[in-house]
Amino acid sequence: MDTLGIFRDIDSAAAAVDGLVRAGFAEAQITSLTSVPYPDGVLVRSEQRTRFRWLALAGGLAGAAAGFVLAAGTAWLYPVQTGDKPIIALYPTAIVCFEIAMLFAIIGTMAGMFLEMRLPALKKRAYDPAIAEGFIGICLTIHRGGEAVECRPGEERQDCIGEIVSLSAVEQKERAEEIMLAAGAMRVIGEETP
Amino acid sequence: MSEDLSHTSRTGQTSLTDQAPKSATRINDELLSSLRPPTLRWYLLAFFLGAVVAWGMAAFTWQLTHGMYVTGKNRPVMWGFYITGFVFWVGLSHSGTMVSSILRLSQANWRRPILRAAEAMTVFCITVAGLFPLIHLGRNWIFFYMIPYPNQRGLWPNFRSPLLWDMTAITAYIIGSSLFLYLGLLPDLAVARDRSSGWRQKVYAVLAMGWRGTAREWSVYHKASTLMAALIIPVAVSVHSIVAWDFAVTVVPGWHSTIFPPYFVIGAILSGVAAVITLMIIIRKAFHLEEYLTPLHFDNMGKLLLVISLLWSYAYFVEVQTVWYAHEPIEWEVFSFMSGRYTTQLLIMLLGNSALPIAAMCFKRLRRSIGVMLVVSLLVNVGMFIERFLIIVPSLSHKNMPFAWGSYSPSWVEISVNLAALAGFALLFTIFAKFFPIVAISDVRELEARRTGVPLGRVRVPSVAGEE
Amino acid sequence: MEKLTSPYKWGMVIDLDRCTGCGACVVACQAENNVGICEKQEISEGRDMHWLRIERFWVGEYPDVRVRFLPVMCQHCHDAPCEPVCPVYASYHNPDGLNGQVYNRCVGTRYCGNNCPYAVRVFNFYPHEWPKPLDNQLSPDITVRSRGVMEKCSFCIQRIRRAKEEAKVEEREVRDGEVQPACAQTCPAEAMVFGNLADPRSRVARLARSPRRFQLLEHLGTHPSVYYLKGGGREHV
Repeated sequence: MDTLGIFRDIDSAAAAVDGLVRAGFAEAQITSLTSVPYPDGVLVRSEQRTRFRWLALAGGLAGAAAGFVLAAGTAWLYPVQTGDKPIIALYPTAIVCFEIAMLFAIIGTMAGMFLEMRLPALKKRAYDPAIAEGFIGICLTIHRGGEAVECRPGEERQDCIGEIVSLSAVEQKERAEEIMLAAGAMRVIGEETP
Repeated sequence: MSEDLSHTSRTGQTSLTDQAPKSATRINDELLSSLRPPTLRWYLLAFFLGAVVAWGMAAFTWQLTHGMYVTGKNRPVMWGFYITGFVFWVGLSHSGTMVSSILRLSQANWRRPILRAAEAMTVFCITVAGLFPLIHLGRNWIFFYMIPYPNQRGLWPNFRSPLLWDMTAITAYIIGSSLFLYLGLLPDLAVARDRSSGWRQKVYAVLAMGWRGTAREWSVYHKASTLMAALIIPVAVSVHSIVAWDFAVTVVPGWHSTIFPPYFVIGAILSGVAAVITLMIIIRKAFHLEEYLTPLHFDNMGKLLLVISLLWSYAYFVEVQTVWYAHEPIEWEVFSFMSGRYTTQLLIMLLGNSALPIAAMCFKRLRRSIGVMLVVSLLVNVGMFIERFLIIVPSLSHKNMPFAWGSYSPSWVEISVNLAALAGFALLFTIFAKFFPIVAISDVRELEARRTGVPLGRVRVPSVAGEE
Repeated sequence: MEKLTSPYKWGMVIDLDRCTGCGACVVACQAENNVGICEKQEISEGRDMHWLRIERFWVGEYPDVRVRFLPVMCQHCHDAPCEPVCPVYASYHNPDGLNGQVYNRCVGTRYCGNNCPYAVRVFNFYPHEWPKPLDNQLSPDITVRSRGVMEKCSFCIQRIRRAKEEAKVEEREVRDGEVQPACAQTCPAEAMVFGNLADPRSRVARLARSPRRFQLLEHLGTHPSVYYLKGGGREHV
């Protein structure tokens, strides 16, 4: 279940995050929704390591192979003598390999980026159009007690799920709403995630 | 669509610039103003550009149905204005990549209002450029012979030919720069999605891919943008080097020169930077962006123009000097034919590419003057078009066998097609600006959000909160 | 990929001391190869269709003027610059040592025409027609090219093919002098000799070893199949 609080400015949003963390929610459950990026830690601390670069590298290698097949492979399949150039020539093959490797690396970067962001979102997720006008959203993911939660690799369980999970989901939600409104939220929206 | 929410603005700060930072809504309003339903003026502009494009297409159809004789080409000058246009537009397409990528990677703050226009320019320039190799074919209707696909003839195209490297490179660059543009657009599409309704809202929602602006999304996005910027630069350099190799790998005197790839890349950056300046001036006027594209931005672009113009002048000087000193008969013949037959064009080129930018861009007052920048940037591109022409035609006119020397003048068909290319580019850009914000909203607002006044000594100094 | 080898390596020797510049070879080439008929307008625009041209150079000042003639056709270079640049393999090197042009494959990029240092490649800028009854003159052994296609001297490949076919039927190789391109056949001064350079006893191979020989644009390293003979041994055009 996601709870989204909309705040007018950075200070009230930051106060809300502090309040939530003090109440027992884990930092990993809280994320900010902003229309401009803020440095890490200003609102929430998030995982900074990314893995999409591996897909970019894989794309580059696949592209180099594809380029080789295209330039050298097709020439080998259909050898036609032209001038003094060998059938499989070094420079043309290298050039075509490079271009296609870069193309696939770029596509891999984009694909990897979207995969890592888990976009496009298939399920409806908490959002408010006011965020585009400069308002700041603080989104809290509430875990039910006993629910299996996917922690990131290398993360401690207590960093992943807060102690507050001892309360029921509805109680957690009410506490979160209280904290956010006390910090200065303009409104709080709840979103049911199945 | 957005509710009438009162917004706060930070108050009570005196700063050196003494200007209150703008609110997000105000920035959104101003930068998205171009997305309003089109006015009569817009329709008139689009119609005029469309008419020029249609005229060019008619001229091309005339060539398609009658034959290549409608152009000015002959033996030995078998390439003329079409290939000039091709190289010119590929050169222009380096604008976005170089300006956008390099400024992103160097994290220069003044890049923010310029990025979007530059990136969009890249995509549309390379699209226009990609049409020319199809237009200049003698038998355009079987252009697909050049596409590598398994066929029942068992034939593949010849990858040893520089024209196939061209095809590969341009395909890679079109896709790469389109993805680069889309990447930059992603947060702005979310803003547009949240502010629109009806069918527009649905389109933006699909394009925005469900972007919410979570901290994780921004973190991944920032890293991906940096990687893309780093990847697109080698692609851009290689694309223009490959186009340069179309000429440099031949045995044509005046073309067979190792300086061509770096020379062409430098020329492309010069052309592109000047075109970005021209475009900035136009969109500043058209969309009332005077507060976003300030004299500071033109000042910095002017400095960039100065550096690149110096580089180009150096490359040209080096090229002519080696030809002059070694004085190989046929190479010198090409150069003296060029300077004799095309003297005016040569002088305009040197004025526009070297003399004027170097002289004018040394002075801050001139760099900050919009009128001067407009004239200088337009003349640079006129000079660059002439430069492409003077590379291609004089070398072909006076090749190795004097009995087969010739000359070339463009015909109305070639001129029409080139003008239609320009109009087509402008039309694509106009339509783009109607549907997508022409200034990168998130980037500009990011600066506003992080900008603050820090008390230092007796005054408040403006400072930008950044990443370590 | 097997290396394709052939016992033939076609070449030509042209003796410039015999050439009178009469131009009969040019006419013969046009007749034999369905070369397009050009109007005055076309020629003045620089779009002539001659596969073979006679270059004429004046030497000296009046009254001591002399004239030199140089018939130039496709040199069938062994390291032809025109071949690697064609994006669709329309220009290629065949095992007999000829530079082949595949008309049906040509898309008309004209890169080969630019890269030929001898400027012997000819492009069909105009659609050429043979109004009746001129179409009776067309040779059925060779394609009639459409507009937008590049063409050039082929050493009358259709004659070479016919000679090879006849020789194959008789289970022998083509004899020296059996195949002659139209230009060599027509030359009244017998200035042009064609044959198999790979056969050291053929007339063309013997002439090609002459100390009077030179080749055009040797410094470019194209290794042409055409040799020119001139003067006492060291004179060049």
